[in-house]
Amino acid sequence: MAGPLAPAWTPETTTGEESDLDRPWVTIVWDDPVNLMTYVTFVLQELFGYDEPTATELMLQVHHEGKAIVSSGPRERMEHDTNRLHAYGLWATYQKDA
Amino acid sequence: MRPFRRKGDVLVARLVDAEAGIVGLLLDQLEQLLDADPADSGGDPVLARLLPPGNTSDPAIAADYRDLTEESLRSAKADDLATVRATLPPEGGDVRLDDEQARAWLRTTNDLRLALGTRLGVTAETEPPEDTAEEEGSQLAVYYWLTAVQGSLVDALVAGRGGRR
Repeated sequence: MAGPLAPAWTPETTTGEESDLDRPWVTIVWDDPVNLMTYVTFVLQELFGYDEPTATELMLQVHHEGKAIVSSGPRERMEHDTNRLHAYGLWATYQKDA
Repeated sequence: MRPFRRKGDVLVARLVDAEAGIVGLLLDQLEQLLDADPADSGGDPVLARLLPPGNTSDPAIAADYRDLTEESLRSAKADDLATVRATLPPEGGDVRLDDEQARAWLRTTNDLRLALGTRLGVTAETEPPEDTAEEEGSQLAVYYWLTAVQGSLVDALVAGRGGRR
């Protein structure tokens, strides 16, 4: 049983929560069989301002590895990015960075 | 079809009568799908692809995302669709688009391809049909025709972007 001097909270847990909050969120684009490679590159340039080589590299990563992180930051911004990708029909999700 | 090409400030393609007719019918079908009550069409794989979840492992995040974005996503798609309809010559002819209208065409032709591709079970291995007289072959032919339209529009937009820089 905890005595009167026992801490009311465990420092380890609090530290863990802090680092959890610090972890950024990410937006991920997944491979799908319909979207054209040129279209995906175009959309990544259009929405995120990537130059052509960067957008092409991300597109190829999606194509070959099945997915790529296309942006990272606060949760609200990742929601917004996912929404903009969905407007263009790309298959996108957002989550806390693993 | 004469594919999209940039001519100065506009992007121009030419559709024959039958092609414009098919696009018009597909727009009607897409509009019906987007207008459907989410409660009635929850299990529809095409709608699930057009309005996808924002997260596939955490139902709370997915629900949050849907609450925040689904309505605006539906209305943005409806606006794009209206732009395509307004710029589509119903009996065939020239399609002339400014850059903003071109983006509406990009998104809507992509939605039509996603819808057809999902219905027809298109995979990375799918190839253009040999027999277009058959029902599924003719739908797949429409899918590949839309691919050519959209592909030419992307290329024309990219070419214009290079020229302006």
